[in-house]
Amino acid sequence: MDLTLSEEEKLIRNIAAEFVDKELIAREGEYLRQRAPFLPPGAPMRRDLSADLLNEITARAREVGFWTLELPENFGGSELSMVARVLIHREFGRSVLPFRPVSIPGFMFESGYGEALALGTKSLALAFDEAHKTGELSGLQTLYRQEPDGSILRDSSIFIADPHADLFLFPAREQGTQRLGLFVIERETPGVTLTEEVELNTDATAARLVLSQCKIPNEQLAGYEYEAGALIAAEQLNIAARSLGIGMRCLESSIEHARNRVTFGRPLAQRQAIQWMLADLSIDLRTSTWLALDAAWRADQGLPYFEEAALAKKRSAKMAFQAADTAIQIHGGYGVCKEFPFEGFYRESRLMRLLYGREEELDQARGERFIEA
Amino acid sequence: MDFRLSSEEENLRQIVAEFVRDELARLEPEFANAPDIFEGSRWKSRVKSSDDPEIKRYLAIMEALEKKAEAKGLWRLDVPKEYGGAEISNVAMIAVTEELEKTSIPFEFGNHVSNILYNCKGEQVDKYLWPCIRGEKTSAFGLSEPASGADPSMLQTTATPDGDDFVINGTKMFPTFADVADFVQLFARLPGTAGREGVTCLLIDTGTPGYRVARSIATLAGTEPCELVFENCRVHKSQVLGEVGNGWALNQAWLGNRRFQVGIRAHGKARRVLRVTAHLLRNDPAQTGRFAGRTGHFIGELEALRMLTYLGAWKADRKLDVRAEAAGVKLFGTELLHRVIDFALEVAGPTALRRDHVLAKAFRHARATRIVEGPSEIQRHIIQRELFRGGAASLELR
Repeated sequence: MDLTLSEEEKLIRNIAAEFVDKELIAREGEYLRQRAPFLPPGAPMRRDLSADLLNEITARAREVGFWTLELPENFGGSELSMVARVLIHREFGRSVLPFRPVSIPGFMFESGYGEALALGTKSLALAFDEAHKTGELSGLQTLYRQEPDGSILRDSSIFIADPHADLFLFPAREQGTQRLGLFVIERETPGVTLTEEVELNTDATAARLVLSQCKIPNEQLAGYEYEAGALIAAEQLNIAARSLGIGMRCLESSIEHARNRVTFGRPLAQRQAIQWMLADLSIDLRTSTWLALDAAWRADQGLPYFEEAALAKKRSAKMAFQAADTAIQIHGGYGVCKEFPFEGFYRESRLMRLLYGREEELDQARGERFIEA
Repeated sequence: MDFRLSSEEENLRQIVAEFVRDELARLEPEFANAPDIFEGSRWKSRVKSSDDPEIKRYLAIMEALEKKAEAKGLWRLDVPKEYGGAEISNVAMIAVTEELEKTSIPFEFGNHVSNILYNCKGEQVDKYLWPCIRGEKTSAFGLSEPASGADPSMLQTTATPDGDDFVINGTKMFPTFADVADFVQLFARLPGTAGREGVTCLLIDTGTPGYRVARSIATLAGTEPCELVFENCRVHKSQVLGEVGNGWALNQAWLGNRRFQVGIRAHGKARRVLRVTAHLLRNDPAQTGRFAGRTGHFIGELEALRMLTYLGAWKADRKLDVRAEAAGVKLFGTELLHRVIDFALEVAGPTALRRDHVLAKAFRHARATRIVEGPSEIQRHIIQRELFRGGAASLELR
């Protein structure tokens, strides 16, 4: 057993931490600060990075190799291990600035879209709406029918989280055989419409992807059951890693604030109510960190890791939500101000808890497996 | 990074797993109705004096098992090499206990020696340490007092120097098996000292004039800890363990050493409790639907506990500061076990509270673990102290 990071992993972690500190956290003030002295009536607008800032950070991320972590060597990437990816995403999770490495499954670089994706001229989103309930593919409703020159997807309508993407990865089951096919759907494909864009509680939007009489050429069948399952696990580990970053930032800021803030003649740090919140949080952060690293390590070793990834995501996202909640409570009125990052973490982690497997569903499935075993 | 046991540790784990499967698991029906006394580790010395033929029978089974374990080399596992032991790592010891906890048979690979006895010097080695390693003597641990529990620095028992002797006066609460132990590791303070200063550990033989085991005290867990009274009990200064005045470090070392074992035991017990409920649920789809979610939640939490325990043991093997991990394991493990048992009773219903039901026993046994060897509140205190000392960086990966 060796629970230390390798020199390479430490280096990657440190570079990512430095990048996040310099490029993201240092700019948070500018991003979070309210521009007008008095707000117009009604809810504040959705926050977004300015185009200039986004381009600048993207360029820097490309230089360092953090634009997308899955980039293969033939496209100038470095084939990072899952452990390294978790370490990097964890660092990005520490900032509330909406920038993170783009997730592109490795097999997509072997498709005809590889170059466009590597260059960033095309973007990709996962249309895995039906997997968000259970974190599994068993509940998949959409069917397809194989024909000689392509697959006909049955008419359907699902919510997707990234409606401005050019390409969508869409899982469906073959009528009769129930075999899972993972299709690349181009935005412009006849029969594809994106409607009803809505703002989410986080600073993002979602929309409805409607398929009607949609035919997908054979070369756009990008994968099967395993690829789709691995994608879910990878997304779960992404969420876990971001959540760990949120936990670290919230814990760190809360410790700092508790040391400095004085009430009734004593710093908050000397109050048991505050100490215990942070003690409990630190255990959750520690355990979730190791569960996520264990799952990632298993993935790198070629061991089964889907169950481990699901558990890491469930515990980490819940921990992040608790961390944000705790940080808000300890920071008091500042905690809920949008000039501070905690309310953003609070909204983000609440959403992450619902993605790629809701807690109750993951628990239920795990419990049923245990009872039947 | 590597989450696997080393091949040596893995071999040991497999040997233990086979022992559990071949020797222990088959005894489970026989032990289902055994008296509560068979929980814990030092019960043997207690039942040796019993005339009850039923208890004698259990004792014979256990002694036969010990011989088998010893023959397989599963003995003196955590004893240092210089004392003829295997001196296996903390991680390996966790793996061994994880396997042992897969059965409800209360069997341990002896002989566990109180870790602070390795501080024995001179004649103490032959008089206390070796007999404990050989299983000929057992010890009790006298730290708590009527007015000093969670905060041992409040202890009031005095060790007053008088010539070459110390004169001991005071009362100790809750040392388990002191009534059958051969000696007690007693913590007392030098006159005029307070707090952590002046605490001194003395080895006091049972039967020393002025030392008496006043009574044993029945508890919820079925254990019978004792009350010890010292009245002008005179012991020679050669009975001091370690140095005069360094007793505080010894009691902390004793407590810290046990916490990872507490974690993996809680893990194993909770898994066994959930196995019982799974068995009850298996053929009842409606009930399964109702309780599977919470079962799954607990299985996940137990994975987290297991991970934390191995992490702590691994850090301890590397001689890193593990106070926060040890406290985290103790807190998380014992609180989780408690919640799991509480849940299991909800699943099983009132029949599970039959006195000899496995869940009823687990219910009675687990409650004290949130107190014994440092209550949950003290563990939280230790964790926050490390957190405010080292900042969030103290959790960082190395």
